[in-house]
Amino acid sequence: MPFSTATAASSPKSSDRAVEAAVELRGVSKRFYYYEHRTSSLREWFIRRILHRPLNVRRAEFTLRSFDLRVGHGEAVALIGSNGSGKSTALRLIAGIYQPSSGSVRTCGRLTAVIELGAGFHPELTGADNVALYAAVLGLGRRELMARFDEVVDFAEMREFMDTPLKYYSSGMEARLAFSVAVCLQPDVLLLDEVLAVGDQAFRDRCLARLRAYHAAGGTLILVSHEVDQIRELCSRAVWLEHGVMRMDGDVDQVLAAYRANDSLYRSRGAS
Amino acid sequence: MSAVHPAPGWAASPSRANQVWRFRELLRQLILRNLKVKYQRSLLGFVWTFLNPLLTVAILVLVFSHVVRIPLPDYWAFVLSGYFVWNCILQTLNTGTYIFAEHSRLTRSVAFPSEILVLGAVGSRLLEFVAEITLILVLLVAFHHHHVPASFALLPILLAIQVLLVIGLALPIATLSVFYYDVQHALPIALTTLFYLSPVFYPAQMVPEAARPFYFLNPIAGLLTLYHEILYAGRMPSFTLLFGMIAAALLVYVIGYAIFNRYCSVFSEIV
Repeated sequence: MPFSTATAASSPKSSDRAVEAAVELRGVSKRFYYYEHRTSSLREWFIRRILHRPLNVRRAEFTLRSFDLRVGHGEAVALIGSNGSGKSTALRLIAGIYQPSSGSVRTCGRLTAVIELGAGFHPELTGADNVALYAAVLGLGRRELMARFDEVVDFAEMREFMDTPLKYYSSGMEARLAFSVAVCLQPDVLLLDEVLAVGDQAFRDRCLARLRAYHAAGGTLILVSHEVDQIRELCSRAVWLEHGVMRMDGDVDQVLAAYRANDSLYRSRGAS
Repeated sequence: MSAVHPAPGWAASPSRANQVWRFRELLRQLILRNLKVKYQRSLLGFVWTFLNPLLTVAILVLVFSHVVRIPLPDYWAFVLSGYFVWNCILQTLNTGTYIFAEHSRLTRSVAFPSEILVLGAVGSRLLEFVAEITLILVLLVAFHHHHVPASFALLPILLAIQVLLVIGLALPIATLSVFYYDVQHALPIALTTLFYLSPVFYPAQMVPEAARPFYFLNPIAGLLTLYHEILYAGRMPSFTLLFGMIAAALLVYVIGYAIFNRYCSVFSEIV
């Protein structure tokens, strides 16, 4: 299978890779820049120039710091951590939405990332048109879509709404349709960012069953979630991130236990 | 197939072109979407698209053949053969100022070559333009030429020049708009200025000889002159003008794409 690499600082040596991983991050750091002060008027610009003050004060913040992750083919991994720990940034880096500030990201096979459900959906278009659009957004070709269209519609159980403009859908229906497109694509690597909590209980159960089947068939899954039950059900391995640094990587039960112990520790400290 | 990881740089890499090709279905879907959203619930649909610039043409013809006189036979045919081109370029460039902001959710959550959004806007507007120009050809043949001039055969080349030029201008405008919202306010002013500095309601031949080298630094002036030659005058344009414009359009396209390429990798962090 063809590979693509993004290398900012170091390039991975291909010689020391025994088995190709589905996803491989090496020493990946991501820092975002934001302005604490930015010269906005001409007057200020002149004054700052004359006084030799910096025009713009930039601050860099690491969201992810020398992060290593190797996910083999057919693995199911959960990324856990509190809000702002860098889980979503890690997922976006794997998906290729962000470029790493340093380090390298390497993925193998077709990758589908569902960071936001139904990104690209248009309210004026019908359900069928939106399915076609969203599938194209996720990188599906025309023939592949035609082959899978019925499967998507059946999975969503929304055939009678396919000619209705999306703006008349309830938000649950919209999410269900989007999720159906995403799970029916059959990628080699599937990234999900807190998007499993859609629809009613019956639909959620079918989604979980579908994802288990996908995993059983050899699909690689990387999941960001806060729902412990879902994580336990789908993943065998968990990676715990804290302040952009990996705290722990290993068996799902052990990592979850450590994460929860740490969490309750914080909570009791806060309470006392 | 793998995720999009274009290396940032000025030059368009072959892998970038591969990515666009891989997402060609998305391009098709975006063009379809733009047209569907615009026309599906409108009874008169395309009539509005055609009527709006036609009204401007009528006013221009009225003013410049009865108030300020521009001495051209069938002046209406002259304005008609250039104004729609101008209108198409103007609208596409204006779309460029908000296209990434409009699709911020998409850009932040999916890895795809983001120029596809611009190409989609260019594509759907171009399809409308093809419909417009077809109607104009019919009007020109029926009421101006009374026969089909051979020069009409050059129209596809002009369309190609127009596409390259519009993409080459829209990409850097859209890029700049990601960083500075000022572009949205500044561009209409720039385009109004350019309207008077382009041969839309007067022929380029009226521009003083001495000023012409500067005048034709504006590539839109050259394109409009080409349209006037082949549609209004019905004659083959000069070799210099035609090939000069092909070269200019390619240059604008390459530079515009390079500017976009240099900055596109951070769009997902900013929009």
